[in-house]
Amino acid sequence: MAESSLDVLLKGSSGQRTRGLLRIIIILTIAAAAVASRLFSVIRFESIIHEFDPWFNFRATKYLVENGFYSFWDWFDDRTWHPLGRVTGGTLYPGLMVTSGVIYHILRLLTIPVDIRNICVLLAPGFSGLTALAMYLLTCEMSTSPSAGLLAAAFMGITPGYISRSVAGSYDNEAIAIFLLVFTFYLWIKAVKNGSIMWGALAALFYGYMVSAWGGYVFITNLIPLHVFVLLCMGRYSSRTYIAYTTWYALGTLGSMQIPFVGFLPIRNSDHMAALGVFGLLQLVAFAEFVRGFLPGKQFQKLLTSMVLLTFGLGFAGLVLLTVSGVIAPWSGRFYSLWDTGYAKIHIPIIASVSEHQPTAWPAFFFDLNFLIWLFPAGVFLCFQKLNDEHVFVIIYAVLSSYFAGVMVRLMLTLTPIVCVAAALALSSVLDNFLVMSKPTAETQAKANAKDAKIYGKMKNPVVGIYSYFSKAFVTGSLTLYLLIFVAHCTWVTSNAYSSPSVVLASRLPDGSQMIIDDYREAYYWLRQNTPDNAKIMSWWDYGYQIGGMADRPTLVDNNTWNNTHIATVGKAMSSREEVSYPILRQHDVDYVLVVFGGLLGYSGDDLNKFLWMVRIAEGIWPDEIKERDFFTARGEYRVDEEATPTMKNSLMYKMSYYNYQSLFPAGQAVDRVRGVRLPAEGPQLNTLEEAFTSENWIIRIFKVKDLDNLDRDHSNAVAFEKGIKRKRATKKKGPRVLRTE
Amino acid sequence: MRFFTAAVLGLFVPSLAAASSITSQQAVPADFKPPQVFKNTNLVRNTNLEKSYVRETINVVVENVDKSPQSDYYVPFPTDVFDRVGGFEARDKKATDKGRFEVAVTEPVPSNGIQYFIVHLDEPLAPKAQLTLGISYSVLASLTPRPATIQQNDKQYLTYSFSAYVPSAYQTVTQKTKLKFPSTDVPDFTETDGLKSGADPERKGATYTYGPYETAKVAPGTEKPITVRYQFTNPVITVNLLERDLEVSHWGGNLATEERYWLRNNGSELENQFSRVDWTFSSYQKAPTSAVREITYPLLPGSSDAYFIDDIGNVSTSRYRPGNGKTAANLELKPRYPIFGGWNYSFKVGWNNDLSRFLRKATSGDSYVLKVPFIQGPKMNEGVQYERFVLRIVLPEGAHNVRYETLEGANSNGLPGKSQIHSSLSSFKTYMDTLGRTTLTLEVDSLTDEARDAQLIVTYDHSLMDALRKPLTLFGGLISVLVAVWFVGSIDTSIKKR
Repeated sequence: MAESSLDVLLKGSSGQRTRGLLRIIIILTIAAAAVASRLFSVIRFESIIHEFDPWFNFRATKYLVENGFYSFWDWFDDRTWHPLGRVTGGTLYPGLMVTSGVIYHILRLLTIPVDIRNICVLLAPGFSGLTALAMYLLTCEMSTSPSAGLLAAAFMGITPGYISRSVAGSYDNEAIAIFLLVFTFYLWIKAVKNGSIMWGALAALFYGYMVSAWGGYVFITNLIPLHVFVLLCMGRYSSRTYIAYTTWYALGTLGSMQIPFVGFLPIRNSDHMAALGVFGLLQLVAFAEFVRGFLPGKQFQKLLTSMVLLTFGLGFAGLVLLTVSGVIAPWSGRFYSLWDTGYAKIHIPIIASVSEHQPTAWPAFFFDLNFLIWLFPAGVFLCFQKLNDEHVFVIIYAVLSSYFAGVMVRLMLTLTPIVCVAAALALSSVLDNFLVMSKPTAETQAKANAKDAKIYGKMKNPVVGIYSYFSKAFVTGSLTLYLLIFVAHCTWVTSNAYSSPSVVLASRLPDGSQMIIDDYREAYYWLRQNTPDNAKIMSWWDYGYQIGGMADRPTLVDNNTWNNTHIATVGKAMSSREEVSYPILRQHDVDYVLVVFGGLLGYSGDDLNKFLWMVRIAEGIWPDEIKERDFFTARGEYRVDEEATPTMKNSLMYKMSYYNYQSLFPAGQAVDRVRGVRLPAEGPQLNTLEEAFTSENWIIRIFKVKDLDNLDRDHSNAVAFEKGIKRKRATKKKGPRVLRTE
Repeated sequence: MRFFTAAVLGLFVPSLAAASSITSQQAVPADFKPPQVFKNTNLVRNTNLEKSYVRETINVVVENVDKSPQSDYYVPFPTDVFDRVGGFEARDKKATDKGRFEVAVTEPVPSNGIQYFIVHLDEPLAPKAQLTLGISYSVLASLTPRPATIQQNDKQYLTYSFSAYVPSAYQTVTQKTKLKFPSTDVPDFTETDGLKSGADPERKGATYTYGPYETAKVAPGTEKPITVRYQFTNPVITVNLLERDLEVSHWGGNLATEERYWLRNNGSELENQFSRVDWTFSSYQKAPTSAVREITYPLLPGSSDAYFIDDIGNVSTSRYRPGNGKTAANLELKPRYPIFGGWNYSFKVGWNNDLSRFLRKATSGDSYVLKVPFIQGPKMNEGVQYERFVLRIVLPEGAHNVRYETLEGANSNGLPGKSQIHSSLSSFKTYMDTLGRTTLTLEVDSLTDEARDAQLIVTYDHSLMDALRKPLTLFGGLISVLVAVWFVGSIDTSIKKR
């Protein structure tokens, strides 16, 4: 009875509806799981914006919500990069902020008072639910199997490679960009498959949205032309491709040029030339196809060859000419570092100093993707078997993004979607073969054979399958096990590796209770409450966005890193002697200097450990004044204890980090717990700065820049006088006595 | 309970403050002087300096020297002090349970910049009759730290300046002033010369007495400046603005409270910058300090879901002790950093309470009576002063006929008189409201934490239809959305030929 009622549900037209409903429920559940697994940090800590860049995005969103769209568009921010300022409205990707702003205003319209912060915090998890849906759609285009799409959606929902950039609070461009990436690809595949202007236009629309949201749009800009190019090379030109591509390119490029930050790049930058070239090529091919209809074969061949040669020659010469003359911008540094991983370290230390720009370590692939990484090649292989237009796309995407993911940790993010697609294809084909319980009956077998025999004359496609229950049970059982392990792994990675806000640190007390180390916010809030509104704060650029967001004070440099010289100036001030630094601080109106010091707590991400990057970046601009070598001992060690080099000990950073630190300990017992060394008994002396605030665990130390001395002494003399040290009378060099004659 | 019923009954007396009154100051002529119809036979002023604000109680025997019965007694203050006088009240010392007298205020007199509180006696005082007035008030921001900057571990000293002769609009026969210091450490004080025989002031422990002076011949308004400087190694906690929101939800059965503080320590500022090393050692020894280390915040029993956040999120150093349902809950707030003199700290606290403990439905009709604490605030030994206090009571949507009444006890509780409370009604739209919720806003300047025990009673009418408005609106909204979707879905926009 039960079976028959199930039959009613699952077979026939009502069965189709039931399955449709079931699918919707499954998709919704996957979306819910995707959202839920990203909420660790909210539950464990609070609804807080994470890390560094999200703080800028959050601040920009608040500005947008408070001042409206047009003033956001024209926003010149004089509270960053003092004294230069930043044309923020023209140098950011507004998609993220506008999205949150629109959500905020819709909710306000419904009189649901949701804080803009909560919208920002929960935007990434919300969009990850949408990504799962987009993934389902994309994968369904690749496979006829009903399970592939659902599997891909589930993988995308919980794989750590994507979660790493989309936990609650990580309010960054990637939060919405991955959804847009996947959805644009889905629309593109639709357009190619159907040759439909509508789908092409939709793809262009979402491409435009993507451009407004993330700099990674260049990936789409190059991948789609590459797809078309490969299709052309495979001799698969069709009017469908022509319609889809020309629609997408024309509308998409126009759309992307509406973003001020992108502006004329699509026609002037080398990164975008591939799309333009393929657009031209496609016109030629279309023209050739058109001409072919009218000309006999031989003449056509001749015409084609000469035309191809001519166009290629002209096009290439034009490109070189334009590049040399500077109309087309040459490749950017970040682009070179994609091909040569050592490039950045030599030429642009500021790019190399960011940990997410480092090459990926091999275990990271397994860490982020678990068993998907070995299903991935299988899925790509399956694509070769069918090799429709969309499968070509999967293969190109897979090859390109695998390379990029290997070059830069951060680009693991673009690899993840295609890994999910491929793995879902592989897994679904295995499951489809092994999960079918019934053996084919003799009739159906005979019928199929007969049909084949009728068509092909012989048995071309014999009905093959796995009929033994043991192998079915074994394979499905082990796959289920893998899937379960995958879920466990994802949860574990998310919970342990990707859910820390990094603004708030947590540690465990001996009794197992959680202790929260909140030094960052303590110091930032102190700045916010107790310093003048326009007090300029100098810190290393990592903390610029956080100071802007939490302390609401002007900063010298921040994570935008648009001006390398300015950052190098800060690096120079940090790594020079006080006498050199003080004029720099005065010239830049600095009121407070903020350093991060982990020595008391053993917090390893502090400024002394980043110090060498400051030195390197400063050395890049002032090679005569700052030398990295001077910070290493004769034996080439980077030391901070008694053995440290004089340059190191006299540097402002060293002095600020250890100022007054020894007085916490019994004499001569001061220990730096990060570097595990005992410090000199006598602490460093600061003359031009004074300690203004130190947070509870000493992680943040803020120093006030002293004003000029009232009596026009230099600060070292003034400090010595206050301490009661008698000034050594400058012994005059006595020359030979001369008889004074008037 | 007696007061509760009394006040509830009293609410329906039309003479009580309806929620639309506005504090107003009486205009006075340019050279106004209060009519000399009274004489202060004996005046004792008690000045309490134990808290971080000044609390003064003046007990004065008043005699009517006019020929006709008089009912207006004027109390003068210079304009700059007047703005900082909080919780002014006057009672008949012989009949304290009668409650306080009505008090009005005047505009500053242009010629001499003096502003008056006018105490309206309930019954005019007959000629030659006497009355003992108990006048009490607190003066905010009248203590100046000297030295203005100190070292982090130093003791803090405050100075207070006043006149030995109590400012009065009338002639005073004898008067004296008793000062109560927090400790016996009073390094500097003015010794008067020739005002009375013998040592002036008389010192007894932490109590100093100036006077008694025979001042029958002295013209009213004569000043004899006196300055005292005493140790007060406690923070001078000043709340520049406190916004307190109470949100009543009939459907949720919940009374949600949120308070937003803009707090500042007006004690001595640090001479050098803040030293974490010294602070670590002194907190380890629990040494007295002029910084705010921790704020304890008692809540009513049964309070739940307490939070403590500031502009950048949760303050993880706080701790909430919920009590066991009967004992008071305690919120222990530790600011992110110690608040030294001159430092600011702004934050938010909030919690929920079960509404049934605060709300009663009148036995007949749709009337509700809400009885809530007027102000809660932290309980600190050194006292807290509020320069401005804005209380907002968000009533359910559709509540109307709103009236309020503050409850006062037999003794003064630091509450200002009705004329000092500015009240207004507005509407506040949130959570899918259609009309907006009726909101009663009460604004008070210069309040102290003495008012912590005061209660506020609000009555309003709220019918069943008001309660059903939101569910019906939502229902209607959803239905219309569904209809719209169905309608749009059934439109055929294809351009194919059918």
